[in-house]
Amino acid sequence: MKQTVPSSSLHNYLLKMYDNCSEAIFFFNVVGNLVHLNNAAKQIVDIEVIEKMFLGETNAICLTCHGYTSEEALVTCKSCYFHEKSRDFSSFQLFLNTKNEGIVPYAASFQTIDEQYGIKMLMLRPLTKQMETHNKLLENTTVKKVIKAQEDERKRISRELHDSVAQEVLSSLLEIQLVKYLPNEEAVHERLQQIEGSLSRLLDDISNMSVELRPASLDDLGIEAAFRSHFSWIEKNYGLEIHYTSEINGQRYNSEMETVIYRVGQEAILNALKYANVDEIFVHLYEAEDNVILHIIDQGNGFNLANYNAKGTGLGLFGMKERTALVNGTIQIDTEIGKGTKVVLSVPIEGGI
Amino acid sequence: MARSIQRMIENIKEKYALDFVAVTNVYMQPYETNLRWEYAVGNIAERFKRIVLKSGKGIAGIVYKTGKPMHVENTEAAFTEDTLFNYPIIVSEKIKSMCAIPLYEQNRVKGVVLLGFREKDKMTVELYDKILENIEADFQYIYHKEMITK
Repeated sequence: MKQTVPSSSLHNYLLKMYDNCSEAIFFFNVVGNLVHLNNAAKQIVDIEVIEKMFLGETNAICLTCHGYTSEEALVTCKSCYFHEKSRDFSSFQLFLNTKNEGIVPYAASFQTIDEQYGIKMLMLRPLTKQMETHNKLLENTTVKKVIKAQEDERKRISRELHDSVAQEVLSSLLEIQLVKYLPNEEAVHERLQQIEGSLSRLLDDISNMSVELRPASLDDLGIEAAFRSHFSWIEKNYGLEIHYTSEINGQRYNSEMETVIYRVGQEAILNALKYANVDEIFVHLYEAEDNVILHIIDQGNGFNLANYNAKGTGLGLFGMKERTALVNGTIQIDTEIGKGTKVVLSVPIEGGI
Repeated sequence: MARSIQRMIENIKEKYALDFVAVTNVYMQPYETNLRWEYAVGNIAERFKRIVLKSGKGIAGIVYKTGKPMHVENTEAAFTEDTLFNYPIIVSEKIKSMCAIPLYEQNRVKGVVLLGFREKDKMTVELYDKILENIEADFQYIYHKEMITK
């Protein structure tokens, strides 16, 4: 048949493309049996699976197909493209269990090319390269941000040391040097009171800095007490009222877990403080079904979770998720513009403390 | 004394047609470390009264520590959104233009007065200079600086 077609006709070009292109192409008939596949397709799918697909065995495609990416999940079989007719599958991401390379992502398109006979075509273009580039890019930008955040934190500590600690020590030192020139006891007494003031301010500054870096109460007394002192610090410093209820009765967990809960809570509250524009926040800490659960709720601005422009470094939410993943926890953020924000953290208690 | 300070800031608010005036606890003892906004006129919330400022933190803390006045014509331009939360009084009172001036007693900063507008650019350089010039007369009971260095 090939010889009868002139070499420059469209038919010929299409056949050449079918045979030689790097995209894998499958044709299915109206009942879902495989009818044709090109060379590229043969290279990625196991021969036994191909035979089963030719024979039209029920769900034979699932032997190679690993699922596709929907709005809900990265890999899912929910409302499968192969059976769902109402949805548009002209361009989507598919994961195939290939014969040589394991599970590989593909840019896929599944469409009917012959309405009359119900012939469908599945076309796949390998995505591994693009994914690698994308991941690399993401990794690089994240690393840059993390480094910057680290440097900023050091800058802040260094500045704090210079501005508050060094200053107060210097001023106390000067005042002490001046004492010997004072004319009478009364003046000495007054000056000493002022020095006392400077030094107790200094003491306050140092203990504040140390608590800000990592509260000792987290190690000594546990998450419940650490939160309580952190919240009173927030109230004092920012006037933000935090309604805190805890039902864990001073229960201790392993240090890693407590740190994660504390940092995630701290970050969520800082976010509310910075962006929610509220005067009060509700925090609830309790245990349920072998999980420690932390709720942080505000009735403020809220934001669009799917599409938000990070106002800060953009590391906050990322960091919360990363930390949660470290202890096999889950974090859920419910928010809508104008409807406030609710952060729910759940961390499994593994084998008690 | 507390009442006279309250009256003093009411007069100042009227004199310069300000939206908001606040003064810290100027009568704290030398060994006390807590700085609070104790007197206010024109406030729209009570949140800032709960705040205990540390020396060096926030508007009051910075002015208290440095002993230098501070002038911000447009707070939105001067403080970005991710640093604004460090100045809760500006957020909760919606101050858009302001200045803060140290109050001295015997060459020591005793307190801080904040004068603000809820409209940007209203605290002009001219007005700021005028306020600074008159500050001694306006706060005659609590403003006393022996060495004036300008």
